[in-house]
Amino acid sequence: MENKKVLVADDEVHIVQVVAMKLRNNGFEVITADNGDEAYKLCCEEKPDIIVTDHQMPGLTGIELAEKIRGTPGIENIPVIILTARGFAIDDQQKEKLNIAECLSKPFSPKELLNHVENILQNSTVN
Amino acid sequence: MLDKRYIILAIPLGLICLLLCAAVLLGGTNTLEILACLAAFGVTAGLFWYLLMERRAIDVQVESLKNDYKHQRDKASQSCKESKDLRLAVQLLKRQKRNTEAIIYSIPDVVIVTDTGDRLLMANEPAGEFFDFDVKKIMLKPLEELVEKKELVRLVKNSRTTRVRHVKHELQFGSGDNILTCNCIISCIFDDADQVCGVVTILHDITREKEISQMKNEFVSHVSHELKTPLASITAYAEMLVDGEAADEKTRNEFYSIIQSQAQRLNRLIEDILSISRIESGLIKVNKEPVSTALIVRDAVQMIKSYAAEKDIKVEDQTAVVFDQVNADKDMVSQVVINLLSNAVKYTPNGGKVTVNSEVDESRQVVRVTITDTGVGIPPEEQSYIFDKFYRVKANNKCAKGTGLGLNLVKQIVERVHEGQVFVKSEVGKGSSFGFELPLIVAEKTIEK
Repeated sequence: MENKKVLVADDEVHIVQVVAMKLRNNGFEVITADNGDEAYKLCCEEKPDIIVTDHQMPGLTGIELAEKIRGTPGIENIPVIILTARGFAIDDQQKEKLNIAECLSKPFSPKELLNHVENILQNSTVN
Repeated sequence: MLDKRYIILAIPLGLICLLLCAAVLLGGTNTLEILACLAAFGVTAGLFWYLLMERRAIDVQVESLKNDYKHQRDKASQSCKESKDLRLAVQLLKRQKRNTEAIIYSIPDVVIVTDTGDRLLMANEPAGEFFDFDVKKIMLKPLEELVEKKELVRLVKNSRTTRVRHVKHELQFGSGDNILTCNCIISCIFDDADQVCGVVTILHDITREKEISQMKNEFVSHVSHELKTPLASITAYAEMLVDGEAADEKTRNEFYSIIQSQAQRLNRLIEDILSISRIESGLIKVNKEPVSTALIVRDAVQMIKSYAAEKDIKVEDQTAVVFDQVNADKDMVSQVVINLLSNAVKYTPNGGKVTVNSEVDESRQVVRVTITDTGVGIPPEEQSYIFDKFYRVKANNKCAKGTGLGLNLVKQIVERVHEGQVFVKSEVGKGSSFGFELPLIVAEKTIEK
């Protein structure tokens, strides 16, 4: 997946580090943020192809970030993957409304996350 | 005894009979005289007979009256008995009513009883306080006049009309920050003919139970989140190592180190959670003995100095070794001081200062330990929550990581186990003073007396 840009947002530095490393090792360009507000700002500036975000973090939560992105022209179609340790499930209606492509529970497998990112970007290209 | 009228008539009757007999016997009386005597005799006899009949009639009447009297007397006696039974029954009902009222009035829940027209028959004091009416002045007033909550009135009416024996609803009263949640239990009262003759409505306040349930859910959610976070790092880095994603030795060592530190973090968290749970449930083993807080503080300061040195933070111990004996579990109090010192260093920027002070307050017979830092401070609106489980000041999340349990553990150990007191003073941008007070041994002995 050359030239595809991923925004990784999480207040846990080790999570950001491991996800960023996995994606970079597989050809992605990665930008990172450690809180929801910074993540939104980077979205507006960098316009990533996909966002991988934690749900529970300072500033905007993952869901709030997805909601805000949907309401911002120019970045409203960026797919979002939410990582959460809370174990909550978003219903399909809300997922579709907020264009949340996937909701993964922590602990997660970096390999599986990579597969999800690749599949989602593949489907976005096809569409 | 003969009626005197009989005697009065009997005398002339007797005389006339005597005269008549004498006239007849002596032969000197003429027919006219005989007839006159006979006539007089007849009249007198007639009168006598009349009186006799009258007497008989009177006797019959008297007999009848006697019977009537007897009958009435029996009836009166029966009435009297029935009246007595009725009085006893009324007394019994009154007593039962008093007992029922006593039971209803002693129930702390709201209890109201309405009739088939949804008018109030009875309400207890809690009902009066809840709905703001005088329980002595509500008899037969429509429920909708006394109760603002339309939904409650509708539910009572609905239960009555549908003859529901027993039903439970959850209702909320109030608004904004003052919302009360109640279980509303409505039961119809049925008479001997199986007709609804009243409705009993009970409101049981479950606000606190709901809060506790919510707190438990939030606690479980918090614990799950806090445990899963280091676990996520451990599994992710382990997978990266297994898949050979760590290109060189340096990266591999970094990964091993992260796994190790996260595992330690997980362990600390589990220990903290278990400690708090044990303290709260009273299962923790406490070894209290006379200890000097100054000495405990001195040892804790030594332990924290290396961590403080990494951030170039100066830790000053200003405690003086005085008579400050407290009856305490040494390890627990050590943990308190270490937790407070650790927080002070964690939330103080590089180059800052942490000061520890221990003093004896003679007037209150306590030892007071205060740890003051030049750190980021805590906003005033968050200070009252700072000792809650998992509470972390949002603005300070960037400064340092934590389980959110350290201060709660401090509070539990100081207040629940040692009957002391924790305190905090803070100013954003200037720093915080956290501390605790423990009763001196002398004070404890006084209390025991």
